[in-house]
Amino acid sequence: MDLPGPIHDFLLVFLGSGLILGSLGVVLLPNPIYSAFSLGLVLFCISLFYILSNSYFVAAAQLLIYVGAINVLIIFAVMFMNGSEYYKDFHLWTVGDGVTSMVCTSLFISLITTIPDTSWYGIIWTTKPNQIIEQDLISNSQQIGIHLSTDFFLPFELISIILLVALIGAIAIARQ
Amino acid sequence: MMLEHVLVLSAYLFSIGIYGLITSRNMVRALMCLELILNSVNINFVTFSGFFDNRQLRGDIFSIFVIAIAAAEAAIGPAIVSSIYRNRKSTRINQSNLLNK
Repeated sequence: MDLPGPIHDFLLVFLGSGLILGSLGVVLLPNPIYSAFSLGLVLFCISLFYILSNSYFVAAAQLLIYVGAINVLIIFAVMFMNGSEYYKDFHLWTVGDGVTSMVCTSLFISLITTIPDTSWYGIIWTTKPNQIIEQDLISNSQQIGIHLSTDFFLPFELISIILLVALIGAIAIARQ
Repeated sequence: MMLEHVLVLSAYLFSIGIYGLITSRNMVRALMCLELILNSVNINFVTFSGFFDNRQLRGDIFSIFVIAIAAAEAAIGPAIVSSIYRNRKSTRINQSNLLNK
């Protein structure tokens, strides 16, 4: 979406802070129902983020599938379990948690030191002239539809078969 | 939008998803953290597709495939968890010894 600069930056900072706090809430909140709703907040922020980066079809798919289906399934699974066992061993901070947090922090630090060192804009300049020549007027969603029905037809059918088999298997597991 | 900021945000989401996946004792919370990891991968796909591949949009198509796989996983995962809960009355990860005979 082509917004003017300050509004775009403000929306980016707002969505980024919502994403950071929401993902901290998913991991750290003691009650799983709160962390499920916090996961919903994170998924919604990611969907708005896709709208900001001009890919509307993926934003709509994210909003429909993640927030509408997966998050509802997870909330259903949380509500299905017994609530009393959640509070038992939350407060103890074991050695494994400390080691894991150290490992994940070092992973994050190594990633964010790698990202600015890589020359991304060299790749952009080598692929840019190609795009300007081939620019035409069909929108992103039309292009995704054309690619899904021509180039990616076999993976599309495979993914539908996988989804059908997974849903039948889920019903067969859950109803016995 | 700067490319590096989005990549840093995605790396943060990935590492916090790994941390929650390892340290959570509840199976449903582990599933939620798995969703966080898949979402960070999707953010990377969509961002790189928007920056480098504006014409073909292969990253967007692959992120749609990732969303479909995540939907299949989110259908299977709570079914297995509810089956384990029905047999064991518990969803703690470190107490699931259903194969123990």
